[in-house]
Amino acid sequence: MSARHAGAAARQLTRPARAVAALLVGALAVPPEALALVVAGLAVLVTFGRPAPRRAIAGTLRRLAAAELSRAARWPATRPVPPPPARCVGYLVVRLGLGLLGGAVLALFGAGLVTGARLLTGWLTGDPLDDITPSWLIVGYLTMGGLVLAFLAVQGMIAVAALDQRWANRTRRPGRAALEHRIDQLSASRAEVVAAVDGERRRIERDLHDGVQQRLVALGMLLGRARRATDPERSGQLLRAAHEESRRALVELREVAWRVYPSALDSAGLPAALESVAERAGLPVRLDHRLLARPPAGVEAACYFVVCEAITNAAKHADAATATVRLTEEAGMIRIEVHDDGCGGADPAGPGLSGLARRLAAVDGRLAVCSPAGGPTVLTAEIPTEPAGPSCG
Amino acid sequence: MRVALAEDSALLREGLVRLLTEEGHQVVAAVGDADAVLAAVAEHRPQVTVLDVRMPPTHTDEGLRAALTIRQRWPAVAVLVLSQYVEKRYATQLLSGDPAGVGYLLKDRVVDVDEFLDALVRVGSGGTAFDPEVVRQLLAATTHADPLSRLTERERAVLDLMAQGHTNASIGGQLFVSRSAVEKHVNSIFAKLELPGSGTHSRRILAVLRYLGS
Repeated sequence: MSARHAGAAARQLTRPARAVAALLVGALAVPPEALALVVAGLAVLVTFGRPAPRRAIAGTLRRLAAAELSRAARWPATRPVPPPPARCVGYLVVRLGLGLLGGAVLALFGAGLVTGARLLTGWLTGDPLDDITPSWLIVGYLTMGGLVLAFLAVQGMIAVAALDQRWANRTRRPGRAALEHRIDQLSASRAEVVAAVDGERRRIERDLHDGVQQRLVALGMLLGRARRATDPERSGQLLRAAHEESRRALVELREVAWRVYPSALDSAGLPAALESVAERAGLPVRLDHRLLARPPAGVEAACYFVVCEAITNAAKHADAATATVRLTEEAGMIRIEVHDDGCGGADPAGPGLSGLARRLAAVDGRLAVCSPAGGPTVLTAEIPTEPAGPSCG
Repeated sequence: MRVALAEDSALLREGLVRLLTEEGHQVVAAVGDADAVLAAVAEHRPQVTVLDVRMPPTHTDEGLRAALTIRQRWPAVAVLVLSQYVEKRYATQLLSGDPAGVGYLLKDRVVDVDEFLDALVRVGSGGTAFDPEVVRQLLAATTHADPLSRLTERERAVLDLMAQGHTNASIGGQLFVSRSAVEKHVNSIFAKLELPGSGTHSRRILAVLRYLGS
């Protein structure tokens, strides 16, 4: 579809010229589009019930509709989100009618221009068209008629262009139901974000209390006992133990701080942060990172915590021997797959995984857990790299 | 003394067992949750039970509830509750019964080994031990501003120590005054707060704590 290339050129033109160009391209696109629709219909019938070809056909139709929407809306700066396939077909069918109408109006206008030009040149060269001699009456009458017809044709073009644009906008604009659904979704995910934040804070408090503080109290006790000990050798032993304990408290503190937020994520990016997760995992983790560009910070953090939680579960609860992490990106969607060969039986409603699902919902992501008893466990997360607008349909 | 311990952190439990053993106490049970401590108290009847407030399964106030249960079922067993944070609610719940043999300390107080051991012995022999921080909060939050403001600075200091459960002799030792001077201050405090100044030592402490907590 060359509509976008034509669009780049057309953007340089003035508004009326752009409207005419849009009509012309729209009219010229009718035959190939009609053919495409017919072929798609036949293909659906032939491959009835098989999902893969149907997905391909739907994708093609959506791309076609997206190109058409761009053209009809006069090549806007943002690329329109294509509506669902069923709506695409409806849009394209009506669009074909509008394309034909536009073509007809353009043809009439063209015919008028050609006829006027032939009359004029005939008179000027002394070979009048259809033997119509140029008397004042005739010239006046034909000029009046020509102007009226030209006016009607221009109005027709304006009307078709407007219809074309309105139909495209109507198709692109999410319906009331879609908007309401999106509002519900946002309200829910907002509540979930708050819950997720509170859950995180609770976890941090527990981490500090169960880990760091206990170690510090134990350290203080060792020092207190060392001070009370009357035997110098005994007090030396206790001091050595206290020194060791202080080291462990520091390690614990570092671990807790890291669990709160891995600072490497900001400085070194996702691959580096995930590598250190793999190193700390306590089981061999294969990391397959195929993201093309660095995702936005919020998405990056969500990716990190998905992998973290999955690996922790694999090591702690599933007793897995190995785990594999894959990050891929396709069509603005990051897909994370964490695979472990543990005993399975992960509970999506458990605190860890449900917290993770909430966290993902906050960035319009989705989590799927497949963990039959006996394993293996596959955890799949999908996160859009751009925040979603309301979808059509 | 025969002591039972309930603390979910294995590290601290181990440390406490060693500390108490070194001091010549006998640790009859060291457990990690509230149910186990009730069973241990039923079996061994220790003189004093040390309990951490936050224990499995919910890590909220299992230890405190176990302490209240112990006080109800086995009044002869003293309880010393170690709490992560000062909770006035916990203090008042512990004070609702007989305060003889009740202690409530901040967990970090264990680091001051001498004070902790002193509090343990005090509680085990039927006295009380309330964390200075608890008393400070009770003092700060008390609604009886007027009578408190009539106390002299020295009397405030005596009240502070008395509320923690110290005896007159111990208060005198800490403030470097004679025991009779302490008694004079104490009588003056009870008069100003319009509390009955008679009764046993722990009764008086209870009177003070309840006054502050009300």
